[in-house]
Amino acid sequence: MAEVAYHNICKSYGSVEVMRDLSLSIQDGEFAVLLGASGCGKTTLLRMTAGLENITGGELTIDGKVMNEVHPRDRDIAMVFQNYALYPTMKVFDNIAFSLEVKRLSKEEIKRKVNEAAAVLNLTDYLDRYPRELSGGQRQRVAMGRAMVRDAKVFLFDEPLSNLDAKLRAHMRVEIRQLHERLKATTVYVTHDQIEAMTMADKIVLMKGGRIEQVGTPDDLYDRPATRFAADFIGSPSMNFVEGDITTEDGNPHFVGPHINLPLDTGLKAEQGQKVICGLRPSDLVTTKSGEIKGTVKLVEKTGADVNIHVDLSETANLVATMARDNGAVAGGSIELTIPPRAVHLFDAETENRIETQTTG
Amino acid sequence: MIVESKNRRYARMAAAWFITALFVFPLYYWGTTAFKQAKEIFSVPPTVWSFTPTLRNFEEVFGISFGFLRQQEVLPGGGNFYMAPRLWDSIVVGLFSTALAIAISTFAAYALSRMDFRGRHHFVAWVLSTRMMPPVAVAIPMFFIYKDIGLMDSYTGIILIHALMNLPLAVLLLKSFFDDIPREIDESAIVDGASRWKIFRRIILPMAKGGIAATAVLCFIFSWTEFIFVLTLTQTGLKTVPVVSSSFVTSTGTAWGNMAALGVAAMAPAFLFILLVQKQLVRGLTLGSLKQ
Repeated sequence: MAEVAYHNICKSYGSVEVMRDLSLSIQDGEFAVLLGASGCGKTTLLRMTAGLENITGGELTIDGKVMNEVHPRDRDIAMVFQNYALYPTMKVFDNIAFSLEVKRLSKEEIKRKVNEAAAVLNLTDYLDRYPRELSGGQRQRVAMGRAMVRDAKVFLFDEPLSNLDAKLRAHMRVEIRQLHERLKATTVYVTHDQIEAMTMADKIVLMKGGRIEQVGTPDDLYDRPATRFAADFIGSPSMNFVEGDITTEDGNPHFVGPHINLPLDTGLKAEQGQKVICGLRPSDLVTTKSGEIKGTVKLVEKTGADVNIHVDLSETANLVATMARDNGAVAGGSIELTIPPRAVHLFDAETENRIETQTTG
Repeated sequence: MIVESKNRRYARMAAAWFITALFVFPLYYWGTTAFKQAKEIFSVPPTVWSFTPTLRNFEEVFGISFGFLRQQEVLPGGGNFYMAPRLWDSIVVGLFSTALAIAISTFAAYALSRMDFRGRHHFVAWVLSTRMMPPVAVAIPMFFIYKDIGLMDSYTGIILIHALMNLPLAVLLLKSFFDDIPREIDESAIVDGASRWKIFRRIILPMAKGGIAATAVLCFIFSWTEFIFVLTLTQTGLKTVPVVSSSFVTSTGTAWGNMAALGVAAMAPAFLFILLVQKQLVRGLTLGSLKQ
């Protein structure tokens, strides 16, 4: 059990700087997800944590001890790789037992620990097989078993589900989360999939270009995205963005854009005439007669229980609204939408940082 | 599906068979020569299918009797064509030089594939460049060196030089096999706590078995067919098959039958060696380790 802390971490490859002054703390027992698009530095950060990549500057501590120069095997970590990295010439049992064998545990103890892990992961019947004889999900579980038997302080996952099909991925999400509940080990989990992050994380660390964009609980990131990037990254379908200005009507702030005139919360910390980007989650939009948002339905996309309605506001502005199937919208027809003032997200047009629309608390 | 007319298919098949026959015929003729009597080898017209087979050529070359009718005939050159020890020399040199080359090159190739050191890239090019020198350019200086250090005409000397000539190619070949093994497997083992040596021995080496087998076959074939070094660096102590084949050419004629018999017999050990490692050759390298 351990706290993982990064203090002003920098990383360069030659003269190319990929990470600068990154600081972050992951609490003991916490499930932290590093989320970001490819190339944002999340995997690099994970590999530095494992000791597979040198740290150019700054300090990494696990349990208060500086780890920068400590060999991976002495960091007390376990890692699951994206492609599982199973040893193909060894049977499942030996794959799981390898780290214990290296530690020179007794035969009986190795056997006990492997069987225990296999029972938890439903692998008992497969211990005698080679990795090539297993399905993707089973290989994934072997990789997890290998990490489990080590009783490591910190678990590192590098996009472990990206090679599985959608259904299996959803299943394994639950399994990994359950495993975490059971082991209570500090976990750092890298993914580019916001749904994985939302469903599994205690804490999401959203990264972009080697920096941390926002840190918070899944709810924090969904309800109060700190930047336009964060707002765009979380949620599916992703948030609609419309550019416009802040005006005042009858003493109350309004957002005015192409075919949009939205009343805003009175606690708004923006000035009259300020250029802003308005963020509207598709699921927050509802149909109305009052016409705050007017547009033409371009396409109705079925997703099962709901439909995604693609709406053109003007030549350049369009948005997506998610609604129940029976909303009556048809392609080519006109539609009027609205949104509760509390659900409107505003970002400064220049800095793209969030403008608080509601009094804090 | 591509539909092909029947005539076209037959024409294609015929062409394929014709070309194959063209290449196989010399081998066939060489093989049958080994079973022909001296007078039949040069008979006009040549006897391709129907000749009186004899094992005499083999009997002479290997000094054994198959108990057949012995014809009293004077051998061309009248010399001794007993070659069994020479076959043995070839086997010893081939096996040991291959083993030595493989032992050294697996370590070298693994280091080149996995460890970072200054000038690694240049090192690889340099290794390859040593193989570009014509063997004759090496053989003559080696003759003087071997004479001075006493390796002349010895198994050790020939094994060393064959291993040496094989190293560059073996290192590069094996490096490419090691490069194909994903680094995550090493990294996973590093996190598991294994030492570099343990990773190499327990994980990487078993995965590279197929590549090692393929490289061994090439090394063995090189040694088996190598001529110039054995010719210059040996006298009477040992001689391998390619060199000794030239001794059938004598002042009173060429013993074609005996030469063919030795050639046919020499194919057997090489063939056997390849057959033995073939199982490793076809085995998948990283099968099941990664998502396919």
